[in-house]
Amino acid sequence: MSEISCEEVLREIEHYLHGELDPISSARLAAHLETCTPCLDRAEFQRKLKEIVRAKCRSEAPDHVIVRIRHAIHLERESRNRSQPP
Amino acid sequence: MADVETQERLEARFEAEALPLLPGLYSAAFRLTRNAADAEDLVQETFLRAYRGFAQFEEGTNIKAWLYRILTNTFINTYRKKQREPRTISDEEIEDWYLYSKMAEAGAEPSAETSVIESLPDEDVQEALSALPDQFRIAVLLADVEGFSYKEIAEITDVPIGTVMSRLHRGRKALEKRLWDVVRERGLVRD
Repeated sequence: MSEISCEEVLREIEHYLHGELDPISSARLAAHLETCTPCLDRAEFQRKLKEIVRAKCRSEAPDHVIVRIRHAIHLERESRNRSQPP
Repeated sequence: MADVETQERLEARFEAEALPLLPGLYSAAFRLTRNAADAEDLVQETFLRAYRGFAQFEEGTNIKAWLYRILTNTFINTYRKKQREPRTISDEEIEDWYLYSKMAEAGAEPSAETSVIESLPDEDVQEALSALPDQFRIAVLLADVEGFSYKEIAEITDVPIGTVMSRLHRGRKALEKRLWDVVRERGLVRD
């Protein structure tokens, strides 16, 4: 497996962390990270940052929203059934 | 009779496949509209449109991507019109590894760098994301919060994959800059 430079690793890291590299490139990059601490530090930083953003940017849907939307769909169905009798 | 059965089957599929995705769509709607009332309206409008158009949805294809596509289109075409675009980031080029470098300059240990961000209240991070211009915000939201692939985001937002990658890259950097500003404003790092 041919070696890749730190520069190339850092350029591709974003795609690597998102699972967007083909298996060969991905394995090559992973092999580089195993032996290169500066690249690994940056990769870990980026990976954790992504996780934090994901965890902090999710909002729970309040129950009343779910009830409201089910009701709106119910009304839509009723009005459709009235206008198009089976 | 056949039509009635088809209709019943459609209803059952909508119930089984579309409705369980409601919580995730609400969360995304909140990040887009930046307030609970508009998020509720947006997600309701999305589900009504999806319900009306469900016969056109090809069974077995990606329903999550299909719903998010309706969500983002509805947001851009209706809600965006009545809202002001958030304060847009300036055109200045933000360098790669912006936040990593700033943290390192501030003297944070590599292992402690992300714990500063982690210690921020959720609202701070949500506001940082919400402050990005639409195109960047939508790309980062779909990729990093909702977990869609580049290809799925290209389909949802109707742009080539290259454009998705570029918006994501710029959006992530802009988000890093916002997060750095927040961390500094809160006095969590020395300048």
